[in-house]
Amino acid sequence: MPLLRDIKGFFPPFWVTFRNMFRKPVTVQYPEQMPELPERYRARLVLTRDPDGEERCVACHLCSGACPVDCISMQAAEAEDGRRYASWFRINFARCIFCGLCTEACPTLAIQVTSDFEISKRDPLKLVYEKDDLLVDHCGHNDEYSFYRQAGIGVAAPRGTNPSESAPVDVKDLLP
Amino acid sequence: MPTLTIDNQQVTVPDGTTVLEAAEQLGIVIPHFCYHKALGAVGACRMCAVTVVEGTFKGLKMSCLVKAEEGMVVTTDDQQSVEFRARVSEWLMLNHPHDCPVCDEGGECQLQEMTIASGHGLRRYTGKKRTYNNQQLGPFIAQEMNRCIQCYRCVRTYKDYCGGKDFGVMGSRNRVFFGRFKDGTLESDFSGNIVDACPTGVFTDKTYRFKSRYWDLQEAPSICPHCSLGCSTVPGGRYGELQRVRSSVNEKVNGFFICDRGRFGSSYVNHPERPRQATRGSWKLTVDEALQQLDVKARELINQHGPESVLLLGSNRASLETNWLLQRWAEEIGCRAPLLSAHLPRHQAAQVAAFDLADRLCSLEKVRQSDLVVAIGADPLAEAPMLGVALRQAVRSGGKVKVFDPRPVELPCDFEKQTVSPTELLDLLDGTSVESKQLVDLLRGAERPVLVAGGLMLGAGGMLRLKKIAAAASNDQRNCLVHPLLGGANSFGAALLSLPEQDDLLTRLESERIKMLVCVETDPLLEAPDNERFAKALSLLEELVVLDYLPTPLSVHANLFIPTTAPVESEGTFINNEGRQQLFAPVIKPRLPISVTGEGNHPPREFIDVAPGSDPIPSWQLFQQLLGEATDLPTLREKMKTAVPRLIDFETLQPGGVSCRVAHVDERCIYTDEIPAAPEESLQLVVTPARYGSDLLSRYSAKLQPRFTEACVQLHPQDAAARGLQDGAKVVLDTVEGPFNLTLKCNDKMAIGCALVENGPKFQQLVPGGKLSFCKVHAGMSHG
Ligand code: SF4
Ligand code: SF4
Ligand code: SF4
Ligand code: FES
Repeated sequence: MPLLRDIKGFFPPFWVTFRNMFRKPVTVQYPEQMPELPERYRARLVLTRDPDGEERCVACHLCSGACPVDCISMQAAEAEDGRRYASWFRINFARCIFCGLCTEACPTLAIQVTSDFEISKRDPLKLVYEKDDLLVDHCGHNDEYSFYRQAGIGVAAPRGTNPSESAPVDVKDLLP
Repeated sequence: MPTLTIDNQQVTVPDGTTVLEAAEQLGIVIPHFCYHKALGAVGACRMCAVTVVEGTFKGLKMSCLVKAEEGMVVTTDDQQSVEFRARVSEWLMLNHPHDCPVCDEGGECQLQEMTIASGHGLRRYTGKKRTYNNQQLGPFIAQEMNRCIQCYRCVRTYKDYCGGKDFGVMGSRNRVFFGRFKDGTLESDFSGNIVDACPTGVFTDKTYRFKSRYWDLQEAPSICPHCSLGCSTVPGGRYGELQRVRSSVNEKVNGFFICDRGRFGSSYVNHPERPRQATRGSWKLTVDEALQQLDVKARELINQHGPESVLLLGSNRASLETNWLLQRWAEEIGCRAPLLSAHLPRHQAAQVAAFDLADRLCSLEKVRQSDLVVAIGADPLAEAPMLGVALRQAVRSGGKVKVFDPRPVELPCDFEKQTVSPTELLDLLDGTSVESKQLVDLLRGAERPVLVAGGLMLGAGGMLRLKKIAAAASNDQRNCLVHPLLGGANSFGAALLSLPEQDDLLTRLESERIKMLVCVETDPLLEAPDNERFAKALSLLEELVVLDYLPTPLSVHANLFIPTTAPVESEGTFINNEGRQQLFAPVIKPRLPISVTGEGNHPPREFIDVAPGSDPIPSWQLFQQLLGEATDLPTLREKMKTAVPRLIDFETLQPGGVSCRVAHVDERCIYTDEIPAAPEESLQLVVTPARYGSDLLSRYSAKLQPRFTEACVQLHPQDAAARGLQDGAKVVLDTVEGPFNLTLKCNDKMAIGCALVENGPKFQQLVPGGKLSFCKVHAGMSHG
């Protein structure tokens, strides 16, 4: 009976609307009102610093290797004290899919996600972030780890002085 | 020929094969560190453990040390072996620093691979790590000793294989250290090989430090363009910059290693002044416009002044394809056949190798296996460095090496040296003198004799004499083989394409009414003898056209300049000194490196379709355009093969393969060597290539600069004393090509009656490989 079915189908939507008229709305009035994002929300990437205030990134290319859309590029260079760092570091956020794989690959905890998702621009070139745009002056999620204190190649501390190392051997010593 | 079973698969291998090698034939890769095909096995790392189930010695064994036996049964994937190897990985990691992110080996590190393959991920050992202090080893090699796993590969490569003396192993127990006794530059001319040999990041290429990761590099099999041996290499580049060269394997040629000139001499590709724009004077042109102008002008001149008015000049730097198409274009426009070398004596020597000696030529592999190598007029480390290493292998397996040369030849092995002057060299080869007969007898007494013929020193005449000696020393059972050394990477190819008769560039420039000269990847100002006369001849030209990829002095004089690509930026063919027809593949595209366009900072922020500086196209493509037949490379090569039947069918070759030697022919060269009479009180002039920077490519390589030597003239102390000259004095070297002010160096290891100068970046006026000539040395004017 189509007529009966139509009449029956007529009322429920009204009922649903009526019922929700008295609920608290879930819509956030963005941008007047900022949404509350979960702590581990994955949005714009930053380059953090280690507890000593030095750049964490050592330009190891692991993040760019892990990136599925190839939006990270960089060039490594050597500082006077032997520290490896990025002479330039570029992320093309027009391409980035915010998967966070780079942060998982990063051995120094340098690259980290933030919850800043407000990066739409009219000009795609403005979405190409250089190192200056990416580098922040805090440690991000982790304020303890310092790669060069673990690496043991004499950059943050003289060779053989990190807690996990013994002093350099004397190679001309023949004692057993 | 034992047959054995490995992991339930049977394989039959030659006697003496190890289990590790036998498994390799089955495609089973047993993890290993210290075993290396060229270096053999020492059993130092314990990584290659397998279980021998059936065999003389049963149980867990090191597969690199156990020889295959008949009926042997071996398992590589049983629990015992797998666990053992996992523990080995773990203990090799005990002291390893936590620094892969800043290590240049990362991504191509055998230790990383084996550690991951054996499943070792978490560190259980909580003790302290052993550390070392590093050494400064000079401009080429960086050391990070904490990464060492004591496999001894470096010292076996540097000392045992390549004959270096200033590197070794020191210390005892877990303090063994690999390096020099004191800080200092590694002296060997083959030092770079320890970078390839070390399975970890202890030794890395300092010139490539922090430039790229392996997985970002563009790499392709290529041929080293720095000397006539044509070693197999794999250059790598990124962001438009050629960043490094590593050795590749060609068992017939270089084996597994290359020399430092080949490894560190590649930065000519990134030369800051490299011309990348077609120009007429100060006008910028597109390549098409430039070609158009070249074509129109050449045809116009030929119409007006006849076929003699245009001269085309090919080179031994240009590929076989380019030289061949240059000849085709000459036919097309109706000028005389191109010259394929600016240096006639060198070219003629190459022709003797390409025609007369062709049925006796032998590879470097044969040199390594020889029991008697006699090098005549050859200084391997200067002319063909890897030959020095090959000679060492001959000596290591019981062979003898004898050298006849006027220069103070050094070799990385024991050898017998007879210091003779260039004229004495020719006498030695005349077949009638006592020495000559002794030489033949000596060669007759050997089982696998090889004569190394230094083409630069002997010239065509000497090479022809040497051919007779080789014939006299051969018998029905075996041939006396010849390994010639030629001027450049494609000298053989250029010689093979040209007629056995060729005239001299200068004579033609001076005697004929030449209006236009087209130089393809050559600079006669640097490569032809007597460059002053050449410079004068140039001024008579109406039009000088240069096609090149180096900022040579000649390109400055060019009326019309067309940029071409370096060998690593294009495909092509070189024929090496023994006639091996080798292909190379393109590695990077020609363009301005990002380090230049970005001025060291990040790349420019702009959208462009075409990378800046990407105008240059391969010279063979330029000539195809001129000929109006833009075919692909296989079609072109097919045509070449039809036209030049001696060539190997290109389809059977591939870049990076062992390749084949071109066929020999019955054509013969007819060159004679007149020995000019020596003017009174004169010395024989010997011009030798410097070890670094004599070939133009390494001269334009910034990385090699630390190895460039100062210009000097060398005399035997006796000759110096006779002239009242002292070591270090300022002297004048009077040659037919003019006087030169140089510093005197006395050297008692060189021939008496000779004056020796090195052609290199600091002294370019005299080029090696000329005809016999004489000179005088006297005290220079003292100024003030
Ligand atoms: S993975 Fe981390 S340390 Fe490595 S380049 Fe990326 S941000 Fe830098
Ligand atoms: S330095 Fe490298 S090659 Fe030499 S022993 Fe150590 S790990 Fe092996
Ligand atoms: S021996 Fe010659 S071809 Fe071989 S790597 Fe050295 S320079 Fe290159
Ligand atoms: S490869 Fe066999 S012990 Fe090292």
